[in-house]
This record gives sequence, structure tokens and C-alpha cells, in this order.
Amino acid sequence: MKADQTVTLNLPATADYVDIVRLNLYGIASKMGFSYEDIEDMKVAVSEACNNSVLYAYGQEGGLVEVVFGVNGEELTITVKDEGVSFALSQEASDAPTLHNKELHDVEIGGLGFYLMQALMDDVRVASESGKGTQVVLTKRLTRSEEKV
Amino acid sequence: MTTNKNDKFNARTVSEEGRSIVYLSGELDLSVAPDFRLVMEPLVGDSDVDLAINLKELKYIDSTGIGILLSILKARHSMNASFSVEEVPTQIQKLFDMTGIAKFFEPQENSQ
Repeated sequence: MKADQTVTLNLPATADYVDIVRLNLYGIASKMGFSYEDIEDMKVAVSEACNNSVLYAYGQEGGLVEVVFGVNGEELTITVKDEGVSFALSQEASDAPTLHNKELHDVEIGGLGFYLMQALMDDVRVASESGKGTQVVLTKRLTRSEEKV
Repeated sequence: MTTNKNDKFNARTVSEEGRSIVYLSGELDLSVAPDFRLVMEPLVGDSDVDLAINLKELKYIDSTGIGILLSILKARHSMNASFSVEEVPTQIQKLFDMTGIAKFFEPQENSQ
């Protein structure tokens, strides 16, 4: 669905700016009428998408992350885009790296971020093209709730 | 950008009678992960004390933070030493359950 209105942030791809994305998300999602729990879920998912750009997209020279909030009456779409080195998200996703069926000594650290995005959003799409960076599109549908923030 | 990290995230250690509790507050994310590791490192290596973290005032955790907790669990497990979480807020417990890390923590009373 096409967004009626968009809000765009351009941020340095460093860990220090990811909380700025969360603050903006909170403002936009609460204005739209999302529940506290949905907003908390989206905060985690969006931060994980930004973390991926911060950690993997650029080398020492750094770069930018663009975050676009697409707002309409029924859903919020958040696009997180970088122009760095694309990485094999799809493979990570298919591994479904949760810890549920593992013993502690078998557990490997990492890979939980993408799983959380999928678990917490209604829809997650990843477009990654060699040399053109990575784009993650996260969608949450607005369900009417009594517990507004 | 210079961020005052103490405003954003804080870890305070209270040690007494063979037990160390680290009280976390604020947001534990990628930007403060190195600070958290630094606080925990000397505590994790001491197998003589029971180690716990109290999450009552923690507002947010991401997969980086969960990953650090997991590495502490692994290290403590290999030393046959304890590591537990106390007063886990509902939203954070949800992430612990979702990722599956919850089952590795010894049962504790949860807040809320």
C-alpha cells in the first residue's frame, strides 16, 4: 500500500544515532495510534535493521543510513536503506537462528537480529543488490487498541 | 556526536557476601555494548561469586545486548558458575522468550 505521507531521516551510519531513529519512530507511531506494545516491538525491529547497516554496510570511511517512515491510515512502513556492501541477509533468515532447540554449548552468538525483525513486524522485505547497498522494508498494520500512548 | 552515555545507559555493581548484582538502567543497545562488556568482564571471570543482573530499570535491549548476555551465560556455564536475571520487565521478557535465551536463565521472580 502506498504511503500517504513520508518522513525521512538521513543519519550517519554509527551506533550513536540509532536511538534517534527510535525516538522518531515513537513520535510517529504514537501519533498514528499504535499501542504501547506495538511501538515497543517496532522499536526493536527498526533498531535491528539500523544495526545491520551500522555494522556491515560501510568500512572505516563510514556512510549514511536513510530511514523513511511511510504513514497511512492503516499501516506504518519503515524503510531502512544504506549504500554500503550488501550482506547475505536472506541466508541468515532461512537459518532461523533462535535458541529454542539448542543447548548452551551449541549456541553461537549473533544472528538474532533478523529473527527479531521477522517475529515483531507483520511484514519484512529485504532487497540487497551487489554494490547498491541494502534496503529493509518493515511493515506494521494498525490494529485498533484501547491502550493508546 | 558526543553523547552522554551515562544518561543513556548505566550499570551499577553491588557486591556482598559472595554475590554480585549489576543493576542496569536505560537502553542497552549497540552504542553502549562495549561499556557493558567492560563492566561485566571482571565479574564474569570470578567463579567464586554468584552473579546476577537486575533489569528492573532497563528500558530497552537489542540483539547486541542479548548476545552479550548469551556469551556471559556460556562463560559462566563452562566455569560451573551461576548467572541469573532479576526483575525482568514484561517487554524484555518477551524478547527473551522469543529468542529462546529465557530457558538458559535460572528461574527468578519477575516483576510485573
